[in-house]
Amino acid sequence: MDEQTIFVLRRIFKKIPSRNIEDLLKNWNCLTADQLRALDYTRPKWTLVENIISFCEERRLNMKHITNLEMINRIENPDNDTWHSCQLVEPQDDALFVELTQFKEQLKAYLEGVIRHISIKIKKHEDEALWIRIAWGDNFSKPNHLKPTYVVHHLHTSYVFICNLMAKHKILLYQALVVSTKHGSIKDAHLSNRSLTAMRTLLLRHYQQVFPNNHSMILDEGNTYASHPCIEKEHAPHEERRDQLASEAFGDSPTPKLETAVYRLETRYRGNGKTTLSDKEELFRGVVKFSSTSLLHSLRHCVASGMVEGPVTPLLSAITQKGRNYFVITDKGPGVSS
Amino acid sequence: MTLLTPFSKVPELNTATILLVEIEEQLQSKLADVIVHYENEFNVNVRLARKLPLPVENKESRPRIDLIVFIVNLLSERSLQSVESSLNHIHSDYFLGKVCFLVTDARCGSYTQDRLASVRKLAASHQCPVICAEHRTADGIHAAAARLLSILKMSAGMSPIPTTALYLSTLTRCSATSDLEED
Amino acid sequence: MAELSNPIGLAPDQSGEADSTVSSASNRSLRLAEKEKKKSEADPFGLAVKYLSRVEAGTVVRGNDELERSLVVVETVALSNGLHPDVIRMLLDMALSLNAGTANCTRVLKFLIPATVVPQEAIVRGVSWLCVGKMPMNAQVFFVRWVLTVFDLIDCKDHLRSIYGFIFSFVTEENLCPFICHLLYLLTMREHVHPYRVRKLLDIQAKMGRQPFLTQLLALYKVFRPDLVTVSVPSRVRTGFKNYNAPWKVSLSAVQRKNKGAVLDEQSLSLDVKEKPLSRKRKLHHLEIPPLSSVFDSNSKGKVFGLQELRSFKQLLENIDNIELPAQMGSLLGSALSLHYLDCVQDESAFLRLNFWLGHSLQEEFLLCPVDGSSDNTSEACRFLSTILSSQQFLQESFSSTESFLYKFLSVWDGCLLRPQILDLLSDIPLMPSFYMRKLLFEPLKQLYFTSTVFFKCSVIECLNNMLVKWLTWHSVSVVKGGLDISLNSNSTMAMSLSGFMDSVMELVRFVGLLASEGLRLENCHVLLLNQTLAFYETVCDMFLKFSLPLIIMLPAGVFYPALFATESVSVDRLGYIMYRYRKNLTLAKRQEKQREQTFHISRNTYKEFNRNLQAMVNSMWNSSWCLPGSDLEIDKDLIALSKVAEPWCRFDLIHHPALFSYAIEFHQKAISLVTSSSYSPPSLVFAQGYNELLLDTQLDVTSQYHVEDHLTMLSLTLQAVHLLSFCCENTLDERMLHFALQTSLSVLTRESHRPLHIVGTRT
Repeated sequence: MDEQTIFVLRRIFKKIPSRNIEDLLKNWNCLTADQLRALDYTRPKWTLVENIISFCEERRLNMKHITNLEMINRIENPDNDTWHSCQLVEPQDDALFVELTQFKEQLKAYLEGVIRHISIKIKKHEDEALWIRIAWGDNFSKPNHLKPTYVVHHLHTSYVFICNLMAKHKILLYQALVVSTKHGSIKDAHLSNRSLTAMRTLLLRHYQQVFPNNHSMILDEGNTYASHPCIEKEHAPHEERRDQLASEAFGDSPTPKLETAVYRLETRYRGNGKTTLSDKEELFRGVVKFSSTSLLHSLRHCVASGMVEGPVTPLLSAITQKGRNYFVITDKGPGVSS
Repeated sequence: MTLLTPFSKVPELNTATILLVEIEEQLQSKLADVIVHYENEFNVNVRLARKLPLPVENKESRPRIDLIVFIVNLLSERSLQSVESSLNHIHSDYFLGKVCFLVTDARCGSYTQDRLASVRKLAASHQCPVICAEHRTADGIHAAAARLLSILKMSAGMSPIPTTALYLSTLTRCSATSDLEED
Repeated sequence: MAELSNPIGLAPDQSGEADSTVSSASNRSLRLAEKEKKKSEADPFGLAVKYLSRVEAGTVVRGNDELERSLVVVETVALSNGLHPDVIRMLLDMALSLNAGTANCTRVLKFLIPATVVPQEAIVRGVSWLCVGKMPMNAQVFFVRWVLTVFDLIDCKDHLRSIYGFIFSFVTEENLCPFICHLLYLLTMREHVHPYRVRKLLDIQAKMGRQPFLTQLLALYKVFRPDLVTVSVPSRVRTGFKNYNAPWKVSLSAVQRKNKGAVLDEQSLSLDVKEKPLSRKRKLHHLEIPPLSSVFDSNSKGKVFGLQELRSFKQLLENIDNIELPAQMGSLLGSALSLHYLDCVQDESAFLRLNFWLGHSLQEEFLLCPVDGSSDNTSEACRFLSTILSSQQFLQESFSSTESFLYKFLSVWDGCLLRPQILDLLSDIPLMPSFYMRKLLFEPLKQLYFTSTVFFKCSVIECLNNMLVKWLTWHSVSVVKGGLDISLNSNSTMAMSLSGFMDSVMELVRFVGLLASEGLRLENCHVLLLNQTLAFYETVCDMFLKFSLPLIIMLPAGVFYPALFATESVSVDRLGYIMYRYRKNLTLAKRQEKQREQTFHISRNTYKEFNRNLQAMVNSMWNSSWCLPGSDLEIDKDLIALSKVAEPWCRFDLIHHPALFSYAIEFHQKAISLVTSSSYSPPSLVFAQGYNELLLDTQLDVTSQYHVEDHLTMLSLTLQAVHLLSFCCENTLDERMLHFALQTSLSVLTRESHRPLHIVGTRT
């Protein structure tokens, strides 16, 4: 084990809370059973880590093992970094027939053809997701394992989730993805979030959606209180309508755990009619950011509890319907455009 | 503007109706459940509403309302505002002992005290009683329901003793001067 | 990596050393030398310690392999087994002196895990290094954080307290301030609180803003000397001190766990029982009585006695002059001896501190902290209030803080939460001017009373009755002591004149009169409520005779008539007793008034009222005419006629009174079996009296020869005779009245004996 490997190993453990270490090591399967037993998890983390490193040295593990450890940790805890989503467009005719091995080979071949020093590791997770770890180097330096890029892709879907990608590598990665998935091009999907699970459910439509329905009265009476003959709700129709509206806009609970929604304003002040209030041609620029531990749930509650009256504005409902949380509102009108 | 009036309808036999108004709809359904299951000498109907005025569609089917209870959650400013605006939609006859305020979270931090004071002021200016409720416990809800029923009994004229809601309200109405700081 | 495996074998060796050298520091070095000789090569720890103790200023640090090796050896031992007090002292000294370099200073502090205790001398030396000011800021902070972490393990803190001023001087250091404040918070005693220190803290607060650590410290100062800290400490200090023990937490707890058995053993052998000092961190949202603990450590006390050391009442009496109040006044409530002490202590500050603590706890933890539905939250509050209650009952006076808490709580009370405790506390409230009483007590209570169930109404009346009894008792005691001015509470400044007192009592009685008469009306003369009310008036009617308060207030018609026309005998009987006692009081008052010119004067109206009530009673029970024109009760004849009751006027006389009916039936059932055949003979008054006695003595096992109907009559009479006849016969208030009463009763007796009874008719 060289200095570099040990350094990377230390850095990896630095980010892992000590309570996760035990399980992680078991999953990793690189230390012997005796070694695992010899570790004392009640000791301070740094002594523990030193022990692990010494065991790794005994086992003569190399960088490959170490990166594997990092990937395992990352797959188990995907919600620790901000993920961005991209959408693959213009699929070619045979895009649906891309196989895993083919995809792997193409991606590796493309990237290794462009950059001499690069480390690519691809792992298939249980839920059909492909996890790709790329440590970038360039023609003169070795791959930097400290800041690897992670890419998550489900084959035959049009969305790719990327985390920790530097601007200079963006074009390379995009091109590699386009080529290997047999698509025409790729574009930003304007959805970024810490929770990868939420993004996947939102974009891959795994959650239950309610569609606008005029016969909302046939909704089953889930309300036990109203069942008593002596209790009458004055606003019962309104309440049902509100629930319906909320479900249409944000789906039935549980909603995906989205944390922020950003609206970039590029608008003008307008009075009644078409006149702008200020004569200047300059746009009013601003950013409106909603944040919550579970934004969609909060918004849904706002609508369902009647805190906001009237129909849900398309600005809010577009979050689930279009699957994005970054919007630019231009002067053209209330519509949403990018 | 449609005013809610207490005497425009004929009462049903041996039946009293209570209207619980709460914008957040947190306590009212629980309270209603306890009230209808309470052992009473008369039938009790509960109407739940978020705010006044009540929807016009129900006007025909709605029985005479004998007691209006405004539920104010002191943790929320909106709750108080909604009650203030709702008060404009009831006929002045209701203020002769047929309106009452139910306050929750009264002992929850010092900032609720200011809001409690303004509720008291509001109640005093409308000559209504203010009832505090411990809505977080089942016992508290039960106690609040019992107190509301005892007021309802008077305001609906169900009491065997010849007494009126107006008379009771002279005994129970809130006096604004009770916020006296004397330690 | 090689070092790591080695010291595991060493561990028992080291702890063995720790055990053997616990006695004193001086012979430790001797032993160490001895040990070194014995196994000089086999003991790297001893060697390392020895080496480190010799490190002097100017030692080369960079590239010094020996230093590095020694540190690693000590470090591994420290993390696995902890360090001996002497080693800690030595290492701390070495680190803080910066002899081994700045970097090593933090490193050493990081593994300074005590095996047993930390000698306070080491800390004192550390503080002195702090005063030298050579250490970089982060090392200083780190040192104080270490002290906070091991604070509970410091063997004794009196020297540390004596350098309080030095420690205090560091609060001006911006970076150190939070930690120093915490340390001071743990160290502060009453004598440390001085005006200049308070001023300094306020200065810093002005500069740094309301930092929680400053507020917390000021709050503690306020607890000790409320007179010095005049600023209001915000009612809700959520975040006080953070925990700074992160770097040591894991290893410290591991070492402590490992050594626990050994430590306990060792301490119990060498230092007799020594309790681990309790951390003074307060848990939020918890109402509990803190355990008794002194601000002094047990081994540093001189003549003073800690309350927790008292074991018997005798001890208390012997040491009463040099007893030190405990660190937390709230702990007094937990023990009976402390309450005894509190009862006789003249020190105003004791009550001040207790009230401050109590008020704070009640306000913060109960008044402003809602129950979240969990039952243990409520039961905790219930226990707390019960403790206060029993302490108050013991001291026979209420704490002023509970009083002000109650006034605040009443306005937000739902009438159900902790009802028994709250009402009991309420009955302990001392007398106050009638104006405040109306505002603070009666107004909220009235609103609660009229919207609540009948059982709540009963308990309110009972509570007010208890309150009145307590007030009257205070009064009678102070009258015996002499003087009309009564200071109601031994430690309250409020003294009240007799007229003020009477005003308040009058106000209370008037208030209960309102509650009772309206309540009875609303609750349809509920039996329980009626009886609670009559119990209250049993207290009221005897105020002059029993409590020597020259005040007689009649019961209102709203109570009198429901009781008179009650359907159960208990109420009628109680009413009779109350009227009888009224009469006793009034006659005594009249006699005193006549004998000498008394200062007090009972108004004519009271006599008139009494006579009117008595007349109404006699009219309805003897004369069978209860709605005479001009009396309180006047009903239109035609209206009564509508009810179609035959002879309505005699429905409430002695014979037909529904309250006495059950007795009549009972007697009837028993007598009918006894009386088989009897000849008719009209009874005379003499006979009636004899029969009366007979009935009282023997329980109806009389071989009576008389007609069943007469038994009924006699029985009805005897039940009332005890009260009614006695006051009728003794009534000297009004000669005409007496004559009238006797006449009527005689006529009834003679008339009734000739008339058959209509049992059935009475219930219509």
